[in-house]
Amino acid sequence: MGLGWQRIAWLAAKRLLIAIIIVFFVAPIILIFLTSIKSRVDALAFPPVWIFSPTFMNFEEIFELYDFGLYFRNTLVAATASTIVAMALGVPAAYSLARYKFRGHSNLAFWILSIRITPPIAAMIPVFILFRNLRLLDSIPGLVLIYCTFNLPFVVWMMRGFFEDLPIDLEESAMVDGCSRFGAFARVALILAAPGLASTAILTFLFTWNEFIFALILTGTNARTMPVAVQLFMRETGILWGHMTAAAVIMMLPTVVLTFFIQRYLVRGLTFGAIK
Amino acid sequence: MTSTTTVTAQRRQRPLFRTRFWAHWSAPAIMLIPAVVILVALSLFPMFYSLWLSFNEWNLGDRTATWRFVGLKNFITIFTTDPFFWPSVRVSVTFTGVTVAVQTLLGLGIALLFSEEFRGRGLLRTLIVLPLMISPVVAGLIWRFMYNTDLGMVNYLLYLLGIDKVDWLGRQVSAMPAVMLADIWQWTPFVALILMAAIQALPDEPFEAALIDGANRWQTFRYLTLPMIRPALMVAILIRTMDSFKIFDLIYVLTLGGPGVSTQVLGLYTYKWGFKFFQMGYASALSYLMIFMMVVFANIIVFFMRRRVD
Repeated sequence: MGLGWQRIAWLAAKRLLIAIIIVFFVAPIILIFLTSIKSRVDALAFPPVWIFSPTFMNFEEIFELYDFGLYFRNTLVAATASTIVAMALGVPAAYSLARYKFRGHSNLAFWILSIRITPPIAAMIPVFILFRNLRLLDSIPGLVLIYCTFNLPFVVWMMRGFFEDLPIDLEESAMVDGCSRFGAFARVALILAAPGLASTAILTFLFTWNEFIFALILTGTNARTMPVAVQLFMRETGILWGHMTAAAVIMMLPTVVLTFFIQRYLVRGLTFGAIK
Repeated sequence: MTSTTTVTAQRRQRPLFRTRFWAHWSAPAIMLIPAVVILVALSLFPMFYSLWLSFNEWNLGDRTATWRFVGLKNFITIFTTDPFFWPSVRVSVTFTGVTVAVQTLLGLGIALLFSEEFRGRGLLRTLIVLPLMISPVVAGLIWRFMYNTDLGMVNYLLYLLGIDKVDWLGRQVSAMPAVMLADIWQWTPFVALILMAAIQALPDEPFEAALIDGANRWQTFRYLTLPMIRPALMVAILIRTMDSFKIFDLIYVLTLGGPGVSTQVLGLYTYKWGFKFFQMGYASALSYLMIFMMVVFANIIVFFMRRRVD
């Protein structure tokens, strides 16, 4: 009997803890979403109002009052283009590192990883000067190029892991059947690694979508991306929380949706393939 | 006579050898070289450039200014007379130490709580992961809203308890803990997620054996779970330490290093020298010191983790 009560109390305590944890991590996001669909008056109410008539005014206004459409487009174009470039260059390189064990291949792989670990602010100073001289400041191509410094190492490390997981026999038998080395790569390995390819591309896209430091320093009014723009609104307008939160919701939406798709590979992606 | 034939044979063989070499290595080379070239151009070149720059003085704000070689002057100034360098190091180290420690303990706790089967576990696990996927800029914005003096949720909760409003980000004492909490909110899920995966991958047999032998929860955790998830724990701590030490965006959005210099981490301090004062040489020297410290930290962590395992 006493043991039964103890077990129930233990179970209840665990449930309560789980509830508190969920509220702590999720409530701030929900709060931002709720504020974004409040009218200006409701958003400024203290204590906060919980029952209100939702409105999409804020979403309309950020596109009308600021250049948010441009920033959205810039972010989308830069993230998509840099994902494509990083995948196009990184996937073959990863395959090469996974399948051909030339002397120093692991040194090369670790050098590539070290680029990703370097604090971006350290690379920023020379890159800024270089871009100024090449007239690449405040341009999308410049942004795409510089995003390669962190996307390319990521793609190489992720895809190297996925290729190493594939049994080599299939590629070998394809080559016996007359496929070239490139054929074995393109027609066999790429197809088999398709889930890995998709999740690597999605994660690359998300990292770029969220990127701030490079965009802050290398862009002005033309190529400005959403993270930089949002942070500027905040300083320029003081606290227009309705607009701020609407912008935040737009920025969060793709990350939330895409996270559901890549759950299986999330741990792998976040640890550079160190944990599978 | 014989020697000439061998020479001709060798001569004949050499092109053959070359073709074979080329046949074997052309494909991997063609696949690898473009990526390596881009990475050298985008990383190795800038790193050497800024290493050289750190021994020079150059004010980018002054159009007529040119590079002036000053030797170790930048580094000497940083270590001896710069009044903000050591405080920034202290802020960075404190921030990294506290956030990584809390994230590790909290993440481990969450991973253990979620290791048992219960209804809705999958969905709840996905929900917890959300903070780590959103942009640090958005996380900063979320927490600026939470900490807002007049309509923030934190002050609202205090108001329900009958406590007065506090300007969390505007006061020297509270700014640092507030920034840390925002970071903990965003990155605890990272540690939790990695450890959940590690715990889920554990084999059942040792635990069944422990149950039969009458081991209690603590013993099972201490002598079975913990040693077996240690590699994952090490990866999580290592990645978090590196990322926490180079933090920039979250603090940029929340406090810009203020009030005063109470939340001014090294990344932010370097940024100010480079892009507010345009002293490129000095900023390069600072950034090199930052990289050096990161390498030292990484080695210390790896060293301790290895020793514990042995």
